[in-house]
Amino acid sequence: MSTPLFPLAFGSEDWRLLSGLPVGFLFGFVLERGGFGNARRLAAQFYLRDMTVFKVMFTAILTAMMGLFGLEAAGLVDRSHLWINPTFLPAQAVGGFLLGVGFILSGLCPGTAVVSMASGRLDALVALLGIVVGIAGFAVGVDLFPSLEALYQAGTGQVSLLPDALGVPPLVLGLAILGVAVLAFLGAEKVETRFQGHGSPVEGTPSPRPRAEFAVAAALGAAGVLALVAARPPSPPPPPAVEPVAPLELAEALIRREAGLLILDLRGESAETERVPGAHPVRREEAAGLLAQIPAGSTVVIYDGDAAPTEVPPDWPRLLRYRGLQGGWEGWKREVLTPMPASHFSLEEQGRVARQNQISAYFSGASPAPPAAATAPPPAVITGGATPKKKGGGC
Amino acid sequence: MRTRETWNPYLAGVALGLVLLSAYLVAGNGLGATALPKRLLALLGNGLAPEWTRANPMLGGYVAEGASPLRNWMVFEVLGVMLGGFLGALTGGRLQVKVEKGPRVSVRARLIFALVGGIVMGFAAALARGCTSGQALSGGAVLATGSWVFMLMVFAGGYATAWFVRRQWT
Repeated sequence: MSTPLFPLAFGSEDWRLLSGLPVGFLFGFVLERGGFGNARRLAAQFYLRDMTVFKVMFTAILTAMMGLFGLEAAGLVDRSHLWINPTFLPAQAVGGFLLGVGFILSGLCPGTAVVSMASGRLDALVALLGIVVGIAGFAVGVDLFPSLEALYQAGTGQVSLLPDALGVPPLVLGLAILGVAVLAFLGAEKVETRFQGHGSPVEGTPSPRPRAEFAVAAALGAAGVLALVAARPPSPPPPPAVEPVAPLELAEALIRREAGLLILDLRGESAETERVPGAHPVRREEAAGLLAQIPAGSTVVIYDGDAAPTEVPPDWPRLLRYRGLQGGWEGWKREVLTPMPASHFSLEEQGRVARQNQISAYFSGASPAPPAAATAPPPAVITGGATPKKKGGGC
Repeated sequence: MRTRETWNPYLAGVALGLVLLSAYLVAGNGLGATALPKRLLALLGNGLAPEWTRANPMLGGYVAEGASPLRNWMVFEVLGVMLGGFLGALTGGRLQVKVEKGPRVSVRARLIFALVGGIVMGFAAALARGCTSGQALSGGAVLATGSWVFMLMVFAGGYATAWFVRRQWT
């Protein structure tokens, strides 16, 4: 399989670094348009008057999560090449709580402070200065206090993913998060409607339309479920096609004793006794077990009474090549077992007809000598690469 | 210019999610914000006290093997955020030099709260190795265990403190 397209491989590290500018630009623009440049709007989240922070954050997480699932299932993303935050549980728990405290004090988080400052807000500029001071304080503190360093370094520092930590398959967890989020969105709409009268309104806040907004959330959820279900573990490739094979072509292949060829007579055991030489009588429903023992890459010729199936059942192995005998057994009888009166053909066709009659004589038993160089009579079982063997696993 | 309404939160969320996804697809990592101040401090520390900076548990990694702390994707990304935020505010009619505050609080008090909150957040983001963008959003989307714990604790910390500072916001 070819290497996945993502993450992109840049010709030079410089280009990768520069790609941060447009991505960051969009990040900043979307945050601003989402209303995240306003400390009062952000703070309202913690008074249940405006749940925008929660709604935007969770929708974003779900979107990116489902996008990654889908692209991974399509073989476009190599997750092992993505940088994933290592887990330092105590530091992340304490740091998260403190960040929440700082968030409601300042009304901003670091990313939104950058956007708010870029919108001209002086409170955001002051908050950013505070952030620089806080980081410097930590850098000094972690050097001075061994207990702070112990907290900073505690934990595995390994990448730990929720599905592994909880012992739940990623897709199940993804769907569970999606379900919980949609319920939480519904709850958020209710809570907002109840509390929005409290406190002074913030300019630019869209007038709440709970029904419309929840409809969007529900549509999102539904789209997410569809995306996840559609993306279900690398969706199986389409069933292998059955290419037709003309009876004479098959006859020639038999005369050449072509290796890796298996013929299945799908009329089954009890039907007619006449078969294409070497064909295994087997009913269609029972063929999967036999086919499972055939080495990958073999060719399987299938035929029925007067036709050949145009598609194979889903449980037949995919790594085999399937060919359908044109006209089935009747076709074989008509084209291979019936000699042609040579006089009916033009001179140019005489050679072909002669060859056909040689083949016909051989397979119908009129001539014991196989045409061309082959000496043995038609083998009872076509052997070679197609010999049924013990399944070795792997495919 | 008249102030435009902000986007429907769910649509803004989808847009933000696509930006986050594009960061993973293009650069192989998520988004961030505190990387810029951290790396600026590493640069400063490296100038003033190179030995100390290299040995520092938090800053050391940014200057290891003589690397320039600013030669990093996140640094460019945060610069992009400034530009995007600026342009968004300009086109949305929200570009305005002022102090954003609740009606019941003075400018002075608002700025003190912003400074203290900022200091707490800077400390927190350094301790947790990321902020709302780098941990909650980015780690959340790739289902990183610690990032989800971080995110839940951010909301816990915010709600636990909100009542005490309600005068500032209502």
